[in-house]
Amino acid sequence: MVRRVCIVGGGMSKWGVREASLWDLVQEAGKECFEDVPGLKPKDVDGLIFANATAGRRGFQINSAPICAERLGIKPKSICARVDVLCASGSTGILLAYGLIASGMADIIMVVGAEKCYTPQKWEIFYSELATGDHDWDCVHGLGLPPPFFAMVAKEHMKHYGTTKEQLAWVSVINYNYGAENPKAQFQKKLTLEEALNAPEVVPPLTLYDCCPITDGAAAVILACEEKAKDLMDRPLVYIRGGAQASLHACSANWPGEHFADWPHLKVAAQRAYEIAKVGPEDIDVAQTHDCFSISQIIEVEELGFCKKGEGGPFIESGQTKIGGKIPINTDGGLLSVGHPFGGTGIRQAIEIMKQLQGRARFQVEGAEIGLTHNLSGLNFEHTIVIYGREPVK
Amino acid sequence: MAILGVPILEDKYPYTMDMWPLECKEFNRLYKFYEHLKEGRFTTTRCRTCGHVAYPPRVICPECYSEDLEWIDLPTKGKVIVFTEQIRGVPLGFESPLIHAHIDLGEGSPIRKILSRIINCPAGKLKEGDEVQLVVFPIPSHPIEVKGGEMKWVDRVFFAFEPVQK
Repeated sequence: MVRRVCIVGGGMSKWGVREASLWDLVQEAGKECFEDVPGLKPKDVDGLIFANATAGRRGFQINSAPICAERLGIKPKSICARVDVLCASGSTGILLAYGLIASGMADIIMVVGAEKCYTPQKWEIFYSELATGDHDWDCVHGLGLPPPFFAMVAKEHMKHYGTTKEQLAWVSVINYNYGAENPKAQFQKKLTLEEALNAPEVVPPLTLYDCCPITDGAAAVILACEEKAKDLMDRPLVYIRGGAQASLHACSANWPGEHFADWPHLKVAAQRAYEIAKVGPEDIDVAQTHDCFSISQIIEVEELGFCKKGEGGPFIESGQTKIGGKIPINTDGGLLSVGHPFGGTGIRQAIEIMKQLQGRARFQVEGAEIGLTHNLSGLNFEHTIVIYGREPVK
Repeated sequence: MAILGVPILEDKYPYTMDMWPLECKEFNRLYKFYEHLKEGRFTTTRCRTCGHVAYPPRVICPECYSEDLEWIDLPTKGKVIVFTEQIRGVPLGFESPLIHAHIDLGEGSPIRKILSRIINCPAGKLKEGDEVQLVVFPIPSHPIEVKGGEMKWVDRVFFAFEPVQK
């Protein structure tokens, strides 16, 4: 028998360049998460999934899940494991926890996502990025640090669909202005179109506000079976309706699309997630899409089916992702302004969608019933989608 | 004065900090790829059972799982589809401009497109459609401990593409 699974609460540390260790950040997020579910104590949590990609590389720490549990005072009995899908580690942790609870193997799981990206010397931050792609075949070419790859994606989108630099800038302006009100965001900055268009170059055509920053941070959520969720809180229940994760290649030579601005692997993940959650793109009221770069969000709204292929630029420029638009996206500021501590990102997205569906978001989408989160991983080899709803799948 | 770095690692080879692959046969069954590079050949594996050509090369065919593979040559010239030039923030081990290009190896090639670094090219010179060719260069050698702590030195090479001079 498949059980229904709910997301009941969540919390996060302050994100940014932090004077703190990985475990300091994890404890800050854990504390805020438990404060969000006052009826729950660490001893009531029977499983822990730790979403973290780089502690082995940046911190000389592997097998980190038991350490995470110990730091949080949790004694897992059903599951205690770490998951690494780089940028989608957090969402993957949520999908795995969903499966374990739905199957009856676990009742209440905390999914913690965290990353400590800043090391004492800057060279090592960038050098470690050479581990994020196919090391022997792509990263040896100096690929891994994402801006060059996504600069090619932007050039291809401009060439094939006529997307403009101004449309890229609109993504940043809209997301930054959501994030300006978010106390946990790395940047709380009101951004104007003029500032975005006159920002320093990173890798042309990408400039400063087109790129998400490097971030230290942690976030945690509690998932529970429906019965336990009802006992734990009196807020509206938010169900995980389903999700999907797709990978069609790992080395850039095997890119699955016609060109770098064509992302069929996202389409595959979206189709399956919609099927399982029994919804279509037109049913999604609010979304979090992986705006690691402004151009990413433009392509994501296309491949997720929110607009036609090639029309992502005009879609965003015309305000469709603002409150009151066709589908508000990244209403907490997204990766661009909140930051991107890999393992933490999917958890942050889940918290924002949970709050939207419970009616307690900072920029509330009135009456939101169905929400979606999306991540891409690394140099775009994998797409991960989770769909949430006020009603379970029937 | 403070001691810089990690004193116990002095004179040691930490493979975990080496940005290049272990190319020698002691650590890698695909060592012939790198031997071919030294001959100026850009190669990969083709399955003798089902004919599938895979890149990167494999020890087992990903289509039919046959172990009966042969090395074939890929084109050493191609045309630039799209490229980027990174001037600032280039990772340690690479020089500015760090140029990458998606390269079309041509209709006859079993592997149609490859993403590679472009070297021997100043910033602002490359254009879409330009012809580029394979270039092989030496990279730092590394030691392997053989017996009784004795060191054997392994010479290595890697490849990139460079503009064809008109």
